[in-house]
Amino acid sequence: MSVSVPPGITGLLGPNGAGKSTFMKVITGQLKPSKGTITVLGEPIWNNPSLYFRIGFCPEQDSFYERMTGLEWVTALVRLNGLSDGDATEMAHRALKAVELTDAANKKIGAYSKGMRQRVKMAQALAHDPHLLILDEPLSGMDPIARRKTIRMVKDWARAGKSIIVSSHILHEIESMTSNILLINQGRILAEGNVHQIRDLIDEHPHTVYIRAEQTRALARAFLAQDDVLSLRFEDEAVVVQTGRPDAFYARLTDLAASGELGAIHEVTSPDDNLQAVFKYLVKS
Amino acid sequence: MKPPPLVQSSVRIFDLSLGQMLWSRRSVFLGVLLGGPVLLALALRIVSTLYEAGFRINGVRAAGASIFGMMIWLLYLRFIVPILGVFYGTALIADEVDDKTITYLFTRPIPRRAVLFGKFLAYLACTVLLVLPSVMLVFFLVVPTGGGSIGAAFPSLVGDFGMLIVGLAAYGAVFAFVGTGVKRPLIVGLVFSFGWEPTVLLLPGYLKRLTVAYYLQALVKHEMPQDSAVSVLMQVFREVPSVAASLVCLAAIVAGTLWLSGRAVENREYVLEQ
Repeated sequence: MSVSVPPGITGLLGPNGAGKSTFMKVITGQLKPSKGTITVLGEPIWNNPSLYFRIGFCPEQDSFYERMTGLEWVTALVRLNGLSDGDATEMAHRALKAVELTDAANKKIGAYSKGMRQRVKMAQALAHDPHLLILDEPLSGMDPIARRKTIRMVKDWARAGKSIIVSSHILHEIESMTSNILLINQGRILAEGNVHQIRDLIDEHPHTVYIRAEQTRALARAFLAQDDVLSLRFEDEAVVVQTGRPDAFYARLTDLAASGELGAIHEVTSPDDNLQAVFKYLVKS
Repeated sequence: MKPPPLVQSSVRIFDLSLGQMLWSRRSVFLGVLLGGPVLLALALRIVSTLYEAGFRINGVRAAGASIFGMMIWLLYLRFIVPILGVFYGTALIADEVDDKTITYLFTRPIPRRAVLFGKFLAYLACTVLLVLPSVMLVFFLVVPTGGGSIGAAFPSLVGDFGMLIVGLAAYGAVFAFVGTGVKRPLIVGLVFSFGWEPTVLLLPGYLKRLTVAYYLQALVKHEMPQDSAVSVLMQVFREVPSVAASLVCLAAIVAGTLWLSGRAVENREYVLEQ
């Protein structure tokens, strides 16, 4: 496959197991292509460390040196770019400021919330001011407010001239950042172009949202009052909702989280059954 | 832009890794293990203080320095150093893969082998910091038994430290290679240290040259009690090359296995479990 990524944001969309993370690992030089060659920014990526001056990668996995503070961790990683201690610290400060983590810079990463952990991962990716930012499921597990902030940040970086590839299995997330998408399934790029072309298809399938919150029953009551909510069920400390209009649902959810009137919303994730159904349809047709 | 030089990148990985290694659960566990010789030394000291006859091997009163020398060889070089080498060496890269933090290191503008070399340096520093207090305590507890002088024995303590560092480097490099090259490296490492090495050291012939212990024993300089089973055993062990030849061989083992490990890391794909 040959994929061109213009300046701005390109969304990589596909269900779980579609090959998004493998694609990300190949274009970041962690995996070697079994056939053909991979060139990124015009150069082969495998065993080419100098290319990482121009690439920033935010991986999907929630893994850190938990005992380090955010500032120590980002500084230590930026130092690997060959910068002096002073310059590395300054760049780390700048990156943490860009992801709005200045206040928590000296806290141990082990004490960070899920949203803060995602943001500190992004800080290490952008600290050395790369041309190309590759973000693998950056919104995964974030609460609605952190999501909104992160989406805004990603858009700001794109406006500042960076090329950004963002992967997700949730159309709504990608759509809120860009209209330019790559559709991937079973390791192949199925389509490349404007998100709105598949939007109608997506809307035909109910969208499932898992919400872990403080007051799940109160949230459920609020959801049931909306006509786009098709069904809901409870799971431990979460409520799982099926909605026919994800845009409207997410907008209301963000407002609810911001107002705090129904308690804290800790985590929002979406199983990808709905997207899987759309992909099955696309592949058949 | 060119990536930073290998040495600079390795030193920065060392900086990043040392703290993680020192405060890991592995270090706590092995730190406890290193308390074993200290307890043994304490017991010897108490026995020596309570009974004037002191500690005897086959009826011969053993000098404190000789007992210390035996402990250095039998407990540290033949047991603790290989254990440290196996547990840390095989995990240099595996820990980062298991913790899924390797991605952050492999997507930076440094050669991949710098990650291995830096972590090897961190291993060396970490294990030296673990072994040092244990050996010091054993030295101060054991050497004075049997009327030994700490001042007179002190130069040999420095030599013993040097020997332990060489041993840690050699075993660590060998097991780093095992860790990058084989599945189940821990089992392979333990079989090598406690199966292969003790067996072939007792056999005549050239097989013993395929061990690390063969070259290390040439560096052991302590006088041992004579006319005893231990001295006979030591005579068997004493079929050793010269100190210079041993040091050259150990340096070659360290350089060779580290180079091979670095190559393996450069060319291997690390697939993280989802």
